Amino acid sequence: MSSTLSAAWARRLTTLQLVLVGIFLLAPVVWMVLASFKQSSDVIAYPPTLLFTPTIENYRALIETTPFLSYAVNSIIVTVGSTTLGIVFGVPAAFVISWTRVSWPAVLTLAARMVPGALFLLPWYILFRNLGMIGSYWPLILSHAVITMPIVIWILLPYFDGIPRSIYEAAQVDGCSVTRVLWRIALPLVGSGVAIAAILAFVFSWNFFLFVLVLSTSDTKTMIAASFNFVGEGSTRWGVLMAVATLIALPPLMLAMVVQRWLVAGLTLGAVKG
Amino acid sequence: MASLSRAASAQVIADDAPRLNPHSFQLAALSAPAVLFTFAMIAFPFCYAIWLGFHSFSATGHSRFVGLDNYRKLIGDVEFWNGLYVTFALYFLGLALQIAGGIYLAILLFNAKRLSGFMRSLFISPILLPSAVAGMMWIIILDPSIGLANYLLSLVGLPPSEWIASPVWVIPTIALIDTWHWTPYVALIVLGGLQSLPQNVFEAAQIDGASPARTFWRITLPLLLPTIVTATVLRSVDLLRFFDIIYIMTQGGPGNASNTLNVYGFKIGFEYFNIGYASALMLTLSTIVLGVVLTLNRLRKAVAW
Repeated sequence: MSSTLSAAWARRLTTLQLVLVGIFLLAPVVWMVLASFKQSSDVIAYPPTLLFTPTIENYRALIETTPFLSYAVNSIIVTVGSTTLGIVFGVPAAFVISWTRVSWPAVLTLAARMVPGALFLLPWYILFRNLGMIGSYWPLILSHAVITMPIVIWILLPYFDGIPRSIYEAAQVDGCSVTRVLWRIALPLVGSGVAIAAILAFVFSWNFFLFVLVLSTSDTKTMIAASFNFVGEGSTRWGVLMAVATLIALPPLMLAMVVQRWLVAGLTLGAVKG
Repeated sequence: MASLSRAASAQVIADDAPRLNPHSFQLAALSAPAVLFTFAMIAFPFCYAIWLGFHSFSATGHSRFVGLDNYRKLIGDVEFWNGLYVTFALYFLGLALQIAGGIYLAILLFNAKRLSGFMRSLFISPILLPSAVAGMMWIIILDPSIGLANYLLSLVGLPPSEWIASPVWVIPTIALIDTWHWTPYVALIVLGGLQSLPQNVFEAAQIDGASPARTFWRITLPLLLPTIVTATVLRSVDLLRFFDIIYIMTQGGPGNASNTLNVYGFKIGFEYFNIGYASALMLTLSTIVLGVVLTLNRLRKAVAW
């Protein structure tokens, strides 16, 4: 009797602690979203206020006074472009790595995660400038593909490894070429893996700050790069700043709900079996 | 790393692999885009950066070989040593907080077995926020005069803090922000480890009458160590290269109190355009990261079971 009672209390204690930790983790996000719906006088009110008349003024100001929509389009172009490139390069590569079991190329792609990004940025900047590519979307798409391709490869490796080799061998006996094996046999079997890899690649490319900071120009500025400029404008524009921040955070938050089970795999790239 | 063990097993399995000679051309063709891309965007720029590190550039863009001069300059550079100190202060503080917090949250999540997928994803939502967004969000929360953080301090009777405006508190504050951002990530990794622990050990401990605290320190924690070291490696790589949130919130300030090596190197390269020196600094930082990762990997072998 007493042990079931204490077990019930232990559960309540766990729940209580979870609620407290949850508040600590979520309150800043909620505060950001609330601030984005406040009038500027409410944003800078002290003591901070929870009760206010919500307004979409900040979002309207964003669209009317800044080229926000073109920033959003740029963000989408860069993210979709780099995700596509990551899939196009990464899927066949993961298949070949799984087939041949030669894995050093996959390890090499991880270098980009160990080395400070600025180390690559200096040579990239010089190369892209000499090739006359600064100002186009290519430097952004290519540099972000450095993030997306390893994600695609490392997410898909276990999927390809999981296909029984006898299926490949049977296909080979029937005279299937390697390319055909990939297209007709392997890809349909790893379809869900490709979808997960694409979503994770999208999220990580969308969130990345450093490369767009340097490689985007006024024509190719993404939402993240543009929002960085708002930071310097001070508290008068806080409402607008929080509106941008909320809009930037929305796609990854929604997409990641879908793939949260695979999130650890995407972040660790093979170091942990999720 | 799993990647390394993969490479090792590849050696063993290579003999059983089917003979692929007729197909090797197609295999090469399939992997060619990724291989070419990796060489063009990762391997070549890396070698180029090494070359840059041995050169000095004039305003007109002419390069001059200067040998190890950039590295010698590094040793005499006060800002470099400050950056090294700031980097490691942030690293140790942030790491300690996140690992402790991550283990704590993982155990909570493990005990709350009936947590729905939606609730779980609420707990991990900080991970999903772009660091740029996290930085902007905390700027308004931590504002010294009108921010929410100081208001909450005043509610419990504590004096207001200058947070990131104070040279003393800026690094602890950034460490706290990063802890908020990445504790759920550590928790997810540790939770994965907890779920794979053999349950019979815990049943045996219960039968022997071990207290929960004793079970945790003597059984759970030692068994979790390999997972914890893995989480440590992954967080180390990011913490030692800390950039985004500092560049957005303080740009290395006040003064140089949050000028991590990565932020300092970025400024040298992209604000002062001292490309050779910046490359030398970034390569030094890369070496430090690699050194820490290799050391931790040895530790992981030592605690494996």
